[in-house]
Amino acid sequence: MSSTKSALHRLDDLIDGRLMAKLDQLDVVSRKIFSGKLHGERRSKRRGQSVEFADFRPYAAGDDLRFVDWNIYGRLDRLFLKMFLEEEDLSLVIAIDASASMRTGTPDSFDYCRKLAMALGYVGLSNQHRVSMLAFNDQGVQRISNLRGRRKSSELASWLLRLQPEGGSGFEAAMKTAALSRLGRGVMIVVSDFMLREGYEKGLNMVAGRGFDLFALQVLSPQQVDPTREGGVQGDLKLVDSESLGETEVTVTPALLRSYKERLDGWCGGLRQWCARRAVTHLLVESSLPVETLMLDYLRRRGLVR
Amino acid sequence: MLALTWLTPFAGALLAGIVLPPLLALWFLKLRRKPRVVASTLLWTRSLADLRANAPFQRLRPSVLLFLQLLLIGLIAVAIAQPESTGAVDTGGRYVLLMDRSASMQAKEQIDGATKTRLDLAKDAAIDRVHELLGGGFFAPRAGTVMVVAFASRAEVRVPFTDSITDLENAIRAIAPTDEESELGDALEVARAFTTNVDPDRPDRAVAAPAILELYSDGRFSDLAQLTLRPLESLVYRRVGEAKDNVAIVALAAERPADRPDDVQVFAALANMNLEPVSVSVQLALDGRARAITPEPISIPAATKSPDGAEFRAGTAQVIFRPIEQPRDVVIEASLLRKDALASDDAAFAIVPPAKKLRILLVHSEGFVLASALESLPVERVDRLSGEEFDALIASQAPLGYDLVVLNNYSPKSLPTGRYLVFGAAPPLPELNVYGAQKDVWCRVTRDESPLLRSASLDELFVANAVASRPSKAWEVVAEGPDAPLIMTFDSGDTHAVYVAYDILESNWPFQRSFLNFVANAVDVLGHAGEAITAQGVRPGEAIALRVRAGSKDARITGPGDVDASAKLDADGNLVWGPVLRTGLYDIAFLEPGQEERSSRRVASNLYSSAESRIEPLAEIRLGVDAVNAVAVTSERRASVWPWILGLGLLILMLEWWVYQRQVRV
Repeated sequence: MSSTKSALHRLDDLIDGRLMAKLDQLDVVSRKIFSGKLHGERRSKRRGQSVEFADFRPYAAGDDLRFVDWNIYGRLDRLFLKMFLEEEDLSLVIAIDASASMRTGTPDSFDYCRKLAMALGYVGLSNQHRVSMLAFNDQGVQRISNLRGRRKSSELASWLLRLQPEGGSGFEAAMKTAALSRLGRGVMIVVSDFMLREGYEKGLNMVAGRGFDLFALQVLSPQQVDPTREGGVQGDLKLVDSESLGETEVTVTPALLRSYKERLDGWCGGLRQWCARRAVTHLLVESSLPVETLMLDYLRRRGLVR
Repeated sequence: MLALTWLTPFAGALLAGIVLPPLLALWFLKLRRKPRVVASTLLWTRSLADLRANAPFQRLRPSVLLFLQLLLIGLIAVAIAQPESTGAVDTGGRYVLLMDRSASMQAKEQIDGATKTRLDLAKDAAIDRVHELLGGGFFAPRAGTVMVVAFASRAEVRVPFTDSITDLENAIRAIAPTDEESELGDALEVARAFTTNVDPDRPDRAVAAPAILELYSDGRFSDLAQLTLRPLESLVYRRVGEAKDNVAIVALAAERPADRPDDVQVFAALANMNLEPVSVSVQLALDGRARAITPEPISIPAATKSPDGAEFRAGTAQVIFRPIEQPRDVVIEASLLRKDALASDDAAFAIVPPAKKLRILLVHSEGFVLASALESLPVERVDRLSGEEFDALIASQAPLGYDLVVLNNYSPKSLPTGRYLVFGAAPPLPELNVYGAQKDVWCRVTRDESPLLRSASLDELFVANAVASRPSKAWEVVAEGPDAPLIMTFDSGDTHAVYVAYDILESNWPFQRSFLNFVANAVDVLGHAGEAITAQGVRPGEAIALRVRAGSKDARITGPGDVDASAKLDADGNLVWGPVLRTGLYDIAFLEPGQEERSSRRVASNLYSSAESRIEPLAEIRLGVDAVNAVAVTSERRASVWPWILGLGLLILMLEWWVYQRQVRV
């Protein structure tokens, strides 16, 4: 579980062309319909000028006479307006935990998160969504907002490559910032290990209640999932918390490992249940899973992309 | 084998008791662990919480670090207990160090090839003791107080109770040797005066526990038989020295033979304190120049001692030198040509006054008995005057020109200053108070120690008719009848008189040998009055007291031991200075009235003490029924061991650090 130096330096390190080609087929799924800001490719709540019929309503003075349904006027001698659905863009917000705890495990959890974020972001960009990303820790929130179009991929990648994980998570403050910012309603994906001493509930509540279609992507390193794996814990150790630097002395015994696994299952199960009660999709991802597999298979099956 | 003494054992034990169990407990509870960074210890902490509730201790595993830490703390505890290399140590409380500085404490001891006196050894031991008692360092439970008393025949407090090591050390170092005899009683009294606090409401009862008395001495005291320890009083006798070998001059006398007054004959008595016989040559020096030596070494038999050691009799021998012609006054020094442990008694001094032939005036010379007695003495001449002629001589106020005036049953109207031997009629001297006569009396009481009665027993003296008087304290009675004195002396200023209160023809005295001896003694004492003390000398511890001419002044005394002091003279010419601490010659210079050059007299001080000359230290001293065993004092100084232990502890600490670093690096 020792920290490793990042191996990501270029765009290709984050996402390669082959994966891009595969991701071009995907789109982010939103279970809700949101109002967009710009004309786009996604059906909006608003009535607009698309070809898809939505509804009728009585004519009111000042309405555009071009939308009056003259056939009904002929039959009923009353004026009705035909309304069509509007197609607008979708806001995709990806929040990445950039605390020190993410810089652990083999492979490195933070690198994995950045690759995942890049892949999701690319999907968003290629589908003309407005893509925003937040990276949060206790130092504050870094963000890049309103990227649109595939051409912005390199800008997004550069931003991701500049991120350095450090300190505590500052999860609550970051979620508050995200909730109050004008990023537009849409899909929000929070990528974190959710091992938060202060708890995740308050932070998630702030964004879950704001109309986002929220996904909690919990990324854990293989050593977090199973401490007996290579690079895990063994023997008499003084465990140092990567964020608080607090020390816990343990002697790893089968009993302790059993207890740890029970605790981990309890923690993740608690998060899952909490998310389910609030219509938040919880996805647990182990950082050893290849991003390609994750995007094309796992997330597809779980309905985040299609 | 190294015997260790612990200055502060309680502090060391306390440290070990406090530190070692927690260290062991730490090792039971805690293991050195390798640090490992993890994403979050949140779940680990919670997992441990359950397990810890059931098993607070783990099995103690063998560990070099634990062993080194135990060893280190053990060593620190031992170091804090301040071990030293010898002896037992008490701390706290009140201690009185009684430092014997008598003559025997000047015996020389051979210590590791060096020569030191017993007093030096005692001082070293006492200083070490002070450091033991007060120099316990930071960890000493409490410091006591110490008082120092130096004593020989008299005791004096050198420093009262104090906890200042510097003051005590300075006071002990300043103790100078003396040639006095040693008496413990005075020292005990002085110590008791400082150690016993008396409750003013209960004067019969002491309220404070007496201090511990520590005696640094060889145990030779002349007054042990009269001493006892009081309840609650404790005495530690720290025996100093081991030397035994000593031969002493215990007496030295010089006389001018009656028939050859220009000659000096010297007698010396020698004492052998060793249990084997010795031979020793004796040298005689006059005024510092060697004049004679015994032709053969004098054999002195061995001393004898009873099996229990209670009775001791020194071997003795006498030396008589051939008469040496010496008409002037002279200082005689006899010295032993043998080195022994105590040098103070290897030489003795005597001062012989110049050969002086007396001129005697006999007044009222009807008595042929007295005249013939006087004329039989080795005097220059005996002149005779009648009463009237003597009165005329006094009236002329001319100097009498006689060393002694003998008044035979004649009482002039007045007497000028001078020396008088008076028989019969009471002389006109003050405070005699004649009130009648006494008839048919036997001499009842005599002061046999008076030089007048030397070889003159008055047991058979019968007086038919004597003057009855009641003299004041200015007179000293030598012999008494049933009602009034028969013989008395008077000394006041320059007037010295011996008064025999009866006419010798009214007694049976002329028929007795004591009469002639008495007359000879009286002539000798009165004729040499003022010179007698000088010739006899003083003992160490006594004061020099002599009489010079009235009106003399500016007296100065020089002598052994760098003595150079001025002495006061009263109007009558009495000089008292002392006490004399060292044996040897003392020169008293003074200015007589009308003289420009200073006159001088010399006084000899000799040890002459068989108690002090017997230098073998006593294994125990007995005060009444209490026997106090000796604790030997050695010259070796106590060496502190704890700095070495602390140094070793430091090395172990470094080793422990090295082992720890190695373990952490793995």
